[in-house]
Parts: sequence; structure tokens; C-alpha cells
Amino acid sequence: MSSTLTDTPTSSTTHDHALKPETSNLGFMRPDHSKSVLIDWLTTVDHKKIGIMYGAIALFFLLIGGIEALIIRAQLAVPENDLVSAQRYNQLFTMHGTTMIFLAIMPLNAAFFNFLVPLQIGARDVAFPRLNSFSLWTFVAGALVLNFSWLMQAFSELGWFTASGPTAGMDDFVPGMGWFGYAPLTERQFTGAGTDFWILGLQILGIASLGAAMNFVATILNMRAPGMKMMRLPVFTWMTLVVSLLIIFAFPAITIALGQLMFDRMFDTNFFQVAEGGQPILWQHLFWIFGHPEVYILVLPAMGIVSEVLPTFSKKPLFGYPIVVFSGAVIGFLGFAVWSHHMFTTGLGKVATAAFSLLTMAIAVPTGVKIFNWIGTLWGGRVRFDAPMIFSIGFIWMFMMGGFSGIMHSAAPADAQQQDSYFVIAHFHYVAIGGILLASISGIYFWLPKIVGKMWTGNLSTWVAIFTTVGLNVTFFPMHFLGLIGMPRRTHTYLSGFGWDGYNMVCSIGAFILAFGVLLFVIDIILCMTKGKPAGNDPWDARTLEWATTSPPQHYNFGRTPIIPARDALWEHKHGPENRNINFEADDGHGIHMPSQSWMPVLASFGFAPLGLGLCLMQVGIPYMGYVAIAGLFTIALGIILWAVEGPGGYHLHPEEDKI
Amino acid sequence: MKNASSGLRKLIALAISLITLTLLGGCDVNTRMSTFDTKGPVAETQYELFMITVWVSTFIFVLVGAFYLVAMFKFREKKNDTRPLPTQGHGNPLVEIGLIGASILLLVIIAVPTLRAIWYTHDIPFSEESQLGEWYQGDGLAAAEEDNVLTIRVNGYQWWWAFDYPQLGISTANEMVIPAGKVIRLELRSKDVIHSFWLPRIAGKVDLIPGRTNQMWIQAGDSFEAWQEKNNATGTDEELRAAYAQYLQDEIHNYYYGQCAEYCGDSHARMLFRSTVVGDDEFADWVSDIKQGHTTPNGMSWDDWYSTLNDSPETLSDDINQGLNLFMTRGKCATCHAVNGNPRALGVAGPNLTKVASRLSMAAGWLNHRAEDGSVDEAQQYENFFKWIKETDVVKPGNRMWKANGGGIGELDELLTDDEIRKISLYLQTLK
Amino acid sequence: MSDDAHNNDDGHHSLMVNNKKLLMWLFLGSDCMFFGTMISTHLIYRKLYPESYDPTSLFSLELTSFSTFILLMSSFLMALAVSAMHKGDIKSFRRNTIGVIFFGLIFLGCQVYEFTEFVHAGLTLSSGTFGSTFYMLTGTHGVHVAIGVFWLICMYFYSFTGKMDAHQSAVDVEIAGLYWHFVDIVWIIIFTAIYLIEFI
Repeated sequence: MSSTLTDTPTSSTTHDHALKPETSNLGFMRPDHSKSVLIDWLTTVDHKKIGIMYGAIALFFLLIGGIEALIIRAQLAVPENDLVSAQRYNQLFTMHGTTMIFLAIMPLNAAFFNFLVPLQIGARDVAFPRLNSFSLWTFVAGALVLNFSWLMQAFSELGWFTASGPTAGMDDFVPGMGWFGYAPLTERQFTGAGTDFWILGLQILGIASLGAAMNFVATILNMRAPGMKMMRLPVFTWMTLVVSLLIIFAFPAITIALGQLMFDRMFDTNFFQVAEGGQPILWQHLFWIFGHPEVYILVLPAMGIVSEVLPTFSKKPLFGYPIVVFSGAVIGFLGFAVWSHHMFTTGLGKVATAAFSLLTMAIAVPTGVKIFNWIGTLWGGRVRFDAPMIFSIGFIWMFMMGGFSGIMHSAAPADAQQQDSYFVIAHFHYVAIGGILLASISGIYFWLPKIVGKMWTGNLSTWVAIFTTVGLNVTFFPMHFLGLIGMPRRTHTYLSGFGWDGYNMVCSIGAFILAFGVLLFVIDIILCMTKGKPAGNDPWDARTLEWATTSPPQHYNFGRTPIIPARDALWEHKHGPENRNINFEADDGHGIHMPSQSWMPVLASFGFAPLGLGLCLMQVGIPYMGYVAIAGLFTIALGIILWAVEGPGGYHLHPEEDKI
Repeated sequence: MKNASSGLRKLIALAISLITLTLLGGCDVNTRMSTFDTKGPVAETQYELFMITVWVSTFIFVLVGAFYLVAMFKFREKKNDTRPLPTQGHGNPLVEIGLIGASILLLVIIAVPTLRAIWYTHDIPFSEESQLGEWYQGDGLAAAEEDNVLTIRVNGYQWWWAFDYPQLGISTANEMVIPAGKVIRLELRSKDVIHSFWLPRIAGKVDLIPGRTNQMWIQAGDSFEAWQEKNNATGTDEELRAAYAQYLQDEIHNYYYGQCAEYCGDSHARMLFRSTVVGDDEFADWVSDIKQGHTTPNGMSWDDWYSTLNDSPETLSDDINQGLNLFMTRGKCATCHAVNGNPRALGVAGPNLTKVASRLSMAAGWLNHRAEDGSVDEAQQYENFFKWIKETDVVKPGNRMWKANGGGIGELDELLTDDEIRKISLYLQTLK
Repeated sequence: MSDDAHNNDDGHHSLMVNNKKLLMWLFLGSDCMFFGTMISTHLIYRKLYPESYDPTSLFSLELTSFSTFILLMSSFLMALAVSAMHKGDIKSFRRNTIGVIFFGLIFLGCQVYEFTEFVHAGLTLSSGTFGSTFYMLTGTHGVHVAIGVFWLICMYFYSFTGKMDAHQSAVDVEIAGLYWHFVDIVWIIIFTAIYLIEFI
């Protein structure tokens, strides 16, 4: 079917009737239609721009986390190495984990959610655009607070100050207690202000995530275009919904745990102080009640991406769509029931161990179902090995391998040997890199042309694939053996004579191969954005609504609201029968109502930086920092009040009739 | 833009890399902390369960992998492909249900042995011949303990291990001596942060969590019945017992390596331990040695020695006596370290140093002086003692000996000189 | 689409719950888990160490019952305020909102008084696990009430600007009501699980 949907792109400015910004209820000018690029991007509430910013920052922190990993691997390449001190190494692995999870993968997922979900459901923007902006900038504040710790460590090493007050006598300012921060190591008598930076950083990041999650649930449930029933949603949007619900129900556990720890450290409570009756195991339970859903929060979006790419490049629908969606929901639900499989060695007792063991095995079933369905999608199709497809295919294989080591872990007695060794490091890196990273790269290869309007140049993607996959396997496959011959994790060095030397050297070499692959990927992105040819609306002959817009999409997404006839609406429109065409709502003359940009969420988010830093520096013993924290709190409150009072505003656009 | 050959290239690269690194890594799994080459029923059960998961995973991998590879090759787009669109199938509920059923079945194959193994590894088995009354050859065993198995209290500290044998009235540190072939109960406690006791060839790990006591059972070597069954051994009772003893001696008596397996702070990587597995008589000898403790270097009674130290210290002029002198006075070692026999060396904040010179490592397994034949390399041992005392903060950053709440070696006003450290090291080497 | 009532009413493909209301429900779901975690922590520690502290001599059931009743009544007034705004009766809305604020402040006053008494009697944040869990839980609840009171004060003053009417503001008042009722329900649970349970 011919399509008016894939016309040549128009220019991004349209004929606005009101190009002048208006004043808000507060009497200030709203920052709409700003000529300054800085102000435009700072105050934007456009989900596409917010998504791009999340993505750029995420990729930046992916590189930072990667460098931290390379230093780790360099240190471990030979036994009894002294490239970095024990303290520095411990800080590096803590920050590597925290950075990768909270500053790289989660915002990268947020980037995809933000850019795609409104387009995929045929909406103008998310339900609460200013809340979206708030989440982004709060995330930035959290990242800042967390990484400010490096500066403090540097200042301390230079001799400019020493810790006093609550953390007197400690010299660790960067978090160094492992990314899951087990008590009582995190109590004041064992670690210094680094732990406080970790606590505050994570709390701020948690607030950002919670805001975004609630926003997306409201968007997906309430903002779908007519005809876009739930079972017609793209799988990626479904996964966004499940992940958002997981965030809403899982984050409170860690918020409280972090709060309790913070109170222990700042206000002398006894939640985890053993001498006063505190139970360290409570921390583990609370953390993992969050932590296990968190890993599904990390991986379900990747599965959503793969579920979009595979059908597109097999030229047939996803095999068993309802079951794939249902499996995603089941995984999310069961994800709350397996947390103690991280605690098999803590002496849970036979019954609890058995229960969590069996439930963990159970969760393998819906995961397996997804893999079968992905292969079923390929089966009988017409498989094109374009760049996005190579990575999605790689995902299936590598994630499967990570899944196998997961099954091995689920057998609790076997886990008693594997837990806390390099075996578990192998497991989660296979699912994180082989799974999440490969899927994310696939998603970037798939959607970057839509985002920037330019196509990929050359064949670099093949090399990216080769180096990342080879690097991943050379780094992490030997780690299975390393763990099974006794090397514990989180060890800054090791002795010769245990049979670990050769494996470690191989792993370290692999890490650099993997890093090279990531470097090539960054280069490919830069090449695309600078030298890429115009991509056109639908370069891949894809299936979902976002490909019906221009590349990049217009500011307002869709000129007129589409009416959705079926699942894979765009595909049906192009290749399906006449009655499956996408029609559009009639133009009622009011034009397109766009949300106004705003400073207020930015103001509110900004307040988190002094709040977090103030509290951390108070723990370091720097005077007057309590006041800085209070000032931060006031800023947040002020921002929120002004945000409420200024009103949503909005303006109207009237694009040319025949453009979408 | 891309074609099948790039996918193919990727796969070949992957295969080559996997094979290469497997070869590179070597196939030697008989290493010091191997979980493959197990020496006890707990580790063996865990290993066998692991292998079940490996076989099931391999089966799934081969099957699913085959479909995966075939799907990619059979259904790939050909060059200049002008075929119409493939059939737009939406799924096949029967296939789905079948696959779900197959998955569940495979998981049941793993689940059943898992449950059995959980019960087996958790509950301390009843074993009459492991009861202290049956095999313990030392004296001083209370009557109440005769029906109990040997219980060792493992106390974890940052970054060393204390092993108490409450039934036998002794304590040691970092190198645990245990009898072969007996069920042993471990009580795991921590005094500061979470640690984890991992002796891989004997058993999987269990954590030491402050505020609670975990327990586990271990056994080095099979029990007599299990050994009999495994080897289909026949013969008279005497012959069997002798063969069993020979088996324990040849295959089980050894020096085993363990390590803390829960991140516990700066020097987590250097919190190792050892477990020496010996026969019943050797075990009894070891216990009585520790109970007895050490005499003074020149054979005096301890009271006499302390009087001499007080009245005429210059008569204690040889290196060893001077070493002991420094140990008790300027070095302040006795504040934290106990040496049995010596009535004034009662410290409990640090490892018990009774028979420290018989140990084949120190600093919680980090500094080693085990010769190839399993005996002590005295030259290396001296160097290790010296290094530990002189540069304890380099060997184990953050440790309490350097800076113990205002005390510690790093706080001595005028640190110990090299000559003083030499003497202390020589003294320590006499604690055999 | 902007963040006000303009969601897809044409949509038989939306949840037909106003965006803001949906957001508040989601937030309350999360807050449920939040308080649930804290209450669980308290109950776990009470089960582990029942003898470590006996609060029955310290707790004044009379005072706490009174403040609970006050909070319940404030919820009633809140419901009236919501109903008033639905009808567009600003004056009634203001009257009831002032009532809620007033009762909320009484509740907070009782809490402050109670805490002061407890601290004088020796129960502080550092008093074993009981002090830690008690104060963190009731303190967090108190902060929630304070935020609610502050919100209502802002709403009260905003009602004088003339920008509040049944059409625009019914939803806003409703979600404030939802929040307030939630805070009240949580208090009932806290009262039962932390105070009453000690007297069984």
C-alpha cells in the first residue's frame, strides 16, 4: 500500500501562530521558542530531547564505567600487582558497578523509553512533560553527587583536608563498599564518607527514577491513540510499562534501607548496629527485595528492543506476541519472589532456601519462552543481517549463556560454591553485556537514524559486533572456570600458585578487546551523525508507529492523531489489506496543543545537588554544610511550588495540511 | 546494507575465540581451591548437582542453538531476493505449550536433586564414628562431649580467622587442623563485618554474619561406609579398615586452601586461611602440643624468667631471649597475642601465636613459607615474620596491628629497629 | 499533551482515569511499599527482641487515641472539602480546608508533645532498635502529614486568587484528598501495629 506516512521529511519549523512566548501564572515569561540553544535544551519538556540527553549522558557514563573496569582488569592481569592500592581498587569496583547500573544502563533505558513510547502509542508527549524534565535533571544531580566523591578523594590525597566530625579518622571518600553496600561494613565505624556519597547519590537517583516511572505508567495507560488497545502495543512499550511498575514497587525498599543506613550514620540509630541489636541481614533482605526486581528493570527493556528488531528484520510478526507480553509481566511479578537467591550462603535455613531455589528456577520458564519465541520469529521469515539485527541475534545467544549460569546458580547447594566467586561475575556480565549492552547497541543501530535523521555509514558495525562479542567472551567465559577453581570476587589481588594466573591474563586481554569494540561503536555513532546521508522516514521497512513520522520526528510528533487498526500498525498499513490502513482524526481547526517549556522542574532538581552534597560534606566534618543542605531542600520545595502555580500553559501549532 | 556473511563471520570469530580461550586457560582443574576435585561429601554433593545443571544446560544449548543457527541460515535473505513476503504467522499455541512443558520438565530434573542436596548439606548427618568418644585420642575430654561430634568455632575478624575448639579447650588462628573422615560441626561468628568461610575442596561457603551464629558441617574424606560403597570394597573388617586408613592418608591428608568470600573491607583479598587434614593420632598430638604451650627459651620456669627479666635482664642476652623480652615489653605484642604456656601473654585481640612456627603461612595465609615437601621453609618463614612486623601496613593495609585504637606498632614511639625485629622474628620461629 | 485534564476522552483507549489522579494512585502505591517496609522493620525487631524495651509505661493510649481521632475527623472534613469543590462552592471548600489544616496541626502538635515526653523519659533515636524504628516510622509519617498541611495551606491561599473553580480544580483537590486519606489510613495501621499491639 502506498503511504502518505513515509513522505520526505519537512523542515522542522512549522507555521506557528504564536511564536512569542507567553507569561505564566507567576508572571514570568515561559521559556518557549527560545533562540538560545542552551535555554531551549535546559527547559525542554519534549520527550525526544529529554531522551537524547539521557542517552548522551548514559553513553558518557558507560565509558567512565568502562575505564574503571579496564583499570580493574589491568590490576588483576598478574598476581600481586600494585597498579592501584587496595582502597582504590575497592572504590573502583564499587563505582564500576554503581555507575554501570545507575548511571549507564538505567538512563540508557530511560532514553529509549522517552524517545519511543509516545511515538509508539501515537501520542504527543508524555502525560506529565514537566515531571519528565524533573526526572532528567534530578538524575543529573544524583550523578553529580555520586561522582563528586572522586573530587573529595583527590583533595584528600593532595592533603587539602582530612575528615573530621562523624567520619573522623577515615580516609575513604569514594564509595568503596561494593555496589550493594552490605551492612555493617557500611556503618560509620568501618567506612568513611564514601558511603554517605553513595547513599545520597542513590537516593536522588531513586527519586528521578520514581518520577519517570509514574509518568510512563500514566502515559501508556492514558495517552494511547484511538484504536491502540493494550494488546496492539509494541512489545517495547509493554516492557516499559512492566519496568515502570517494577520501579514503583521495588524502589521503596531500597529507599527505606538507604534511609535507615543514613540514620545510623548521621543520627546514631541502630538499624544495623550489631552491638545495639541491629541485624545486618535486614539490610540484605531490603536491598535485594529492591535489587532483584532491579535486574529485571535493567533487562526487560533490552528484551523489548530485541522484540522490535527481530520481527522487522525477519519480515514477519513476533512469534506469539501475547505470550511474550505475558512472560514479561510474569517475569516482573516473579521478580519480587526470588530475592533471597542472592543470600543462599547467609544461613536462611532449609525451607527458605528450597523455596527461593524453586522460584528462581520457575523464573527461567518465562525467560526461556521469550527465547523460543524470538527464534520462532526468525523461523520461516526472511532474515536480513543489517546492523541492528546482528546485535539482536547476538543478544539471543549471549543472553542464553548468561541464563544457563543463572540456572546453575538457582541450585542452591551448587550456588554455595559459585556465589561470591568469579562465577557469578561471569553470570551477570553475560546477561548485562551479552544481554543488555548488545540489545542496547542493537536499539541504537535501529533507532539512531530516526532520532538524528541520518543513516549509518560503512561497515563498521560488523567490526563493532566482532570485537564486542569476542571481547565479551574472552573476558567473561574464563571467569566461569576462575570461580569454580576458587577465586573469590572483589579481591584487589591474588597469589600465584592457585592456577588463576593464566585465566586472569586472558580475561584482562579480553577486556581491552571489548573496550576497543565499544570505541569503534562510538566512532560509528560520530560518523553517522556527521557524515550520514538522510535516512528517510522508514529506512528499515519497519512495523511500528514511530517509523511513520519524519526522521527526526517533528516537534509535535503527529500532525493529526492516528487511528490504529491493528497490531504492527505501520506494517499492516504498508503491506496489509485496505481495512488495516491507518487513518487520521479529522482536523478540528484548533491546531496541535503543545506543552510549554519550563524552568521550574530544573530549579527543583537543582536543589538536590546542595541537599545531597551538603549532607555528605556534613559527614566529612566541613562546617556549615547542614545549612547548605537545608538551602537545597528549600530550593526543591520552592521549585515544586512554583511549578504547581505557574500552570501547564501550552501553545498551539498549525502545521501545513498535508504534512504529518 | 549488511548480508549473511557478516553474521557468519561473527559466528566464526566467536567460535574461534571460545575454543582459543578454553585452550589458553588450560584444562587443569586440579588446583588448590578447585571445586571440581572435591575431597569431602559436602563439596562432592554440590559438585554433582552442579554437573546436573551443566548437562541440562548443555542439552538445551545444543538443541536451542541448533534451531537458532538453522533459522538464521535457512531463512536468510538471498542477494537480489524477489520473493514475496514470508507467511506472516503469529505464533503457534501448541508449540508454546509444548516448549513450556519441556522447560518445566527439565527444571524438575534439576529441582529434585537440588532439594535433596539442600537437605543433605544442611542437616548434620548422624555418624557414630564421628563422635568424639569414638575417635579422639587425646585426654581431657569431658564425658558430656563424648557423644558429640567435633565442634569448631570459626570467628571472623578483619582480616584473620580465629578457630576455637571449645570441647578440647584450645584455640588457634588462620590454620585449622582437622581430623580426616569425621563429621565436624562449624559454628560461624563474626566480630565485626560479614565474612564468608570458603574451603572449596571440602564444602561450599557459608557466611559469618555479626549478630548471629551460622552453622555448617564439613567432612574431609568419605566416611567408612561411603568409601566402602564407592569402591565396592570387600574383605575382612580389619583389611577394610586398613585400606580405608590408607585411602585417608593417601588422598585426604593434605594442606587445604580457603579464603574469605564476602567483601569485608580493604584487605578482603588477603584474608585467606588453611586447613590441615591429619589422622587421629596426629590430631591428638597437635591438640596436646597447643594445650601445653611453649616453655621459656632457656628452659627456666616462666616465673623465674620474669624475675630474671625484672632483676637482671642483661643476663637474657641471646637473640631468642631478647626477642621474647621485646615481645613482652617494648613491642607490646602480648597485649594482643596469646602464647600458651606464657602466663603473661594472654591477648585475644589478635591471632593466637601458639605453634605459629609450625604453620606453613602467616598473615592469614597471605605470606607463605611452605616448602615443596610440605615442611616449613625456615628461611622464607624468617623473612615473612620480619616483613610482617616491619611493614605490616604494606602487607595488609588497614590492619589493626599497625594502628589498633591508638595502640599498635605504628604508634610505638620510636618504631622497632631492624635488629629488634630480627630478634622477635627469631623468637617466633622457636614457637613450634 | 499537557499535564492537565486534557487526556484522551475520545479514547476508548485510555483508562478513563484522569492523569493526575492516576499519578497520585501510583505514588500512593509506592508510598504503601515505603511505609510497609518501615512497619515490617519495626515488627521484625519487636519479634526478635520483645524484652529489649517495654513501651507500655511510656505510651499514653489516651493521647494517641485522641490524636488518631483528630486525624480521622480531619479526613472527614477533607472529604467535605472535595465535595465542596466538585460543586464549585469555594466558601465551603475554604471552611473545610481550614478545618483539615487545623486538625492536622493539632495532630502534629500531639506528635511533637509525645516525642518530647518520650525523649525526656529516655527513649531516643539511639535507644536500641525500638527507638530507631519507632521514631523513623512515626517521624516519616509526621513529615507526610506536615507536607499535606503545607499543601493544603497553599491551596487555601490559592483559592483567593479566583483561579480555582469546579472545572479546573476539582481534580487537584481530589488528589490532595487522596493523599490525605492515605496518610490517615497509614496512621491507623501504625497506631495498631506500633501502639495497640504492645498492650496485647
